[in-house]
Amino acid sequence: MNQSDQLQFTTPARVVRFVPGPAERDPLGWSRKARLQERMLSITTPILFFVLWELTARMGWLDARFFPAPTRIAAAGMEMVQSGIFVSDLKASVTRVLLGFGLGTVFGLLVALGLGLSRLSRAAFDPFLSALYTVPKLALLPLLLLIFGLGELPTVLLVAMTVFFLVWITCMEAVLAVPVSYRETAISFGANAWEMFIHVTWPALLPQLFVAMRLAIGTAVLVIVGVEFVQADVGVGYRIWNSWSLFRADQMYVGICTVAILGYVLTTLVRYAGVLALPWLSKRGHGAGH
Amino acid sequence: MNSKIEIREVTKRYHAGHVVEALKTIDLDIKEGEFVCLVGPSGCGKSTLLRMLAGLNLPSEGAINIHAKGGRSVPTSTVFQNYNVFPWKTIEANVRFGLRLAGIPRAEAAERSSKWLAKMGLAEFAKAYPPALSGGMLQRVAIARALAVDPEVLLLDEPFAALDPQTRRLMQEELLSLWQENRRTVVLVTHSLQEAILLGDRVVVMSARPGRIIADLKVPFERPRSPDIYHDPAFAALDQKIWGLLHDEVQRSFNGEKNQ
Repeated sequence: MNQSDQLQFTTPARVVRFVPGPAERDPLGWSRKARLQERMLSITTPILFFVLWELTARMGWLDARFFPAPTRIAAAGMEMVQSGIFVSDLKASVTRVLLGFGLGTVFGLLVALGLGLSRLSRAAFDPFLSALYTVPKLALLPLLLLIFGLGELPTVLLVAMTVFFLVWITCMEAVLAVPVSYRETAISFGANAWEMFIHVTWPALLPQLFVAMRLAIGTAVLVIVGVEFVQADVGVGYRIWNSWSLFRADQMYVGICTVAILGYVLTTLVRYAGVLALPWLSKRGHGAGH
Repeated sequence: MNSKIEIREVTKRYHAGHVVEALKTIDLDIKEGEFVCLVGPSGCGKSTLLRMLAGLNLPSEGAINIHAKGGRSVPTSTVFQNYNVFPWKTIEANVRFGLRLAGIPRAEAAERSSKWLAKMGLAEFAKAYPPALSGGMLQRVAIARALAVDPEVLLLDEPFAALDPQTRRLMQEELLSLWQENRRTVVLVTHSLQEAILLGDRVVVMSARPGRIIADLKVPFERPRSPDIYHDPAFAALDQKIWGLLHDEVQRSFNGEKNQ
């Protein structure tokens, strides 16, 4: 090793000093300030986005045919609310999403338990289902239409299938990942199969179920919009597609914003349901450590 | 002689809905090359104090000064109770981790890490991943990782608490001889009074929460020491004395936890 290396990695003598920082000097004020900061930022970003959009649209820097100003979009939205199509679109889409989501979650969970708890059924069905998982669900829409005809059923089924695979994979892995030591503890107290399920397997997989549901509800919104593009005469997706063919960009943006907000609201609802259902994971569970 | 570490009127509070006072006005001086053991009941804040020395938490009041000589070593390194050996790095990469972060050139880092692997009897596991190793071996990895960076102060947070008693005793003896080979400043947090007496120059006894220093005892055994001192009547006497100081505090901390 040469001299320059020696010098480069030599540090001078110094005093490493630890003193209270702003968070330690005023903990309550600091955490209040941090919360306020977070809230302000989460509101500021979208506001800033729309203000910039509004300004650039008004200055004529954006082509108003493709990017109408947010105030123009809001006006179109009000119009759609008044004429009633907004509510009927939203109702149709939300109903499809929730039906498909519920159906998919229930079946996904049942299959996850069946396969997770039985080695033989796992051997029989896991490769088969895994192969099906990779088939793009939208590619099955024509098939579903052929079998079930036009109407709500194929749409709801398609959403359900999407949700099913997310819930199935996540929950089966969760069942398989339940620590053996918890099972053994329950066995040592004489738990039968049902008691094992209620006291160990179910609570142990619950956190993962909520993770899957959060992913699934967002994906369900995504799928429903796609399906409504091609196969619906009411719904937010239909409205977006229809507005395009009518060259009503403002209505399109109303649809896009509605989808974004719908996705956010549904995901948030699932998240809060998770907080309520999983008290042992909440940060407020117990006081400070040491 | 000047202090290596000065802890001046350090208080630590946590705000978890309500205010928890973890440490109350701690004053402590630790000299260069001194081996200091902190003992006290669960939740007395001894780990918090160690974490503050490591810079992981800051004090609520007061100040901590660590006088670093600089040169080619780092001011502090820490060994944690749960090893915290990264499972996604090989044993060798774990030991090299601190060296890389300290900016040690690759060749020297490799040399130093293999030296420490050999010293800790881990050479044949250099390329293995942590899940293949036992708890005792993982703690050796953690100690090797901490010592490879040649820290001026070594911080040990209940390093042997997760080990079985036999392994634990072996590791204590290993640490004792490692330290006697190269006497750097060490702060050890432990629940075991025997461990504290065997290894330490001083045993600092802390009270139940909020943690205060209730005794600062010099360990009367000469260096270099060996585990033979276990059989010395003075050993039993000191052990008895510390337990006498601690008994009521442990009781208090036990009741306090129940009432929470």
